[in-house]
Amino acid sequence: MEAHAAPLHTGAHVEHEHHGPPEAHRSSRVEPQLLGMLLFIISEVMVFGAFFTAYFFIRVVDGNPWPADGTELPKIIAGFNTAVLLSSSVTIHWALEGVKRGNRFALKAGMLSTFFLGATFLFVQINEYAHIGFAPSNSAQASVFYGLTGLHGAHVFIGLCLLAFVNIRAFRGHFSPEQHRGVEVPGIYWHFVDVMWVVVYTTVYLL
Amino acid sequence: MLNPLRSEQEAFRFLLYVAAIVIAITAVVLIVRALT
Repeated sequence: MEAHAAPLHTGAHVEHEHHGPPEAHRSSRVEPQLLGMLLFIISEVMVFGAFFTAYFFIRVVDGNPWPADGTELPKIIAGFNTAVLLSSSVTIHWALEGVKRGNRFALKAGMLSTFFLGATFLFVQINEYAHIGFAPSNSAQASVFYGLTGLHGAHVFIGLCLLAFVNIRAFRGHFSPEQHRGVEVPGIYWHFVDVMWVVVYTTVYLL
Repeated sequence: MLNPLRSEQEAFRFLLYVAAIVIAITAVVLIVRALT
């Protein structure tokens, strides 16, 4: 092994230093990591679109009352939660701008606060389910409410897993002004989750 | 053109635009509903 490893660090072979299978051919001008996230988010928009279609049919096409008679949605608490999630987008943006400038404190503090703000959002959402007073099986409106907010909650959970990885890497000394794709790509996903919540909160709670 | 999927910076700016537009639409709908 050592005889094989040695030439990698000397002279002309350095640029060929590559482990694992050969690198894939690329025809896109977009970087593979960004392209992957782009395609994923497009598919996610379609998933949310399907859930919004159910909402649209129940409320607009069928003209049912929203929310169902005798039920109430906690607009204020969800509004507080919206502020929590929106501020988590600011902190992750701060983290990325920080690492681009070589500011490791901004990276670590930004990522950590983003994670805890996201976790707070999910905790409040679960607490809301526990106290809201109706189950998904109670009415079509209730099904759509749990469907839309639950789908979004699942995305927050996935986002939190990504943020946990970014946090671990950040605290282990990864990322630099030159190499920060690992912060940027989860950041795009996190902003998407935020945009989706703005739409969900507005249609489900406010309008 | 703003492409929110090109970079985090543009995604963040897109979020701000969406928030501003949604606030404007919500305000108009709530005002109209209150007046009719």
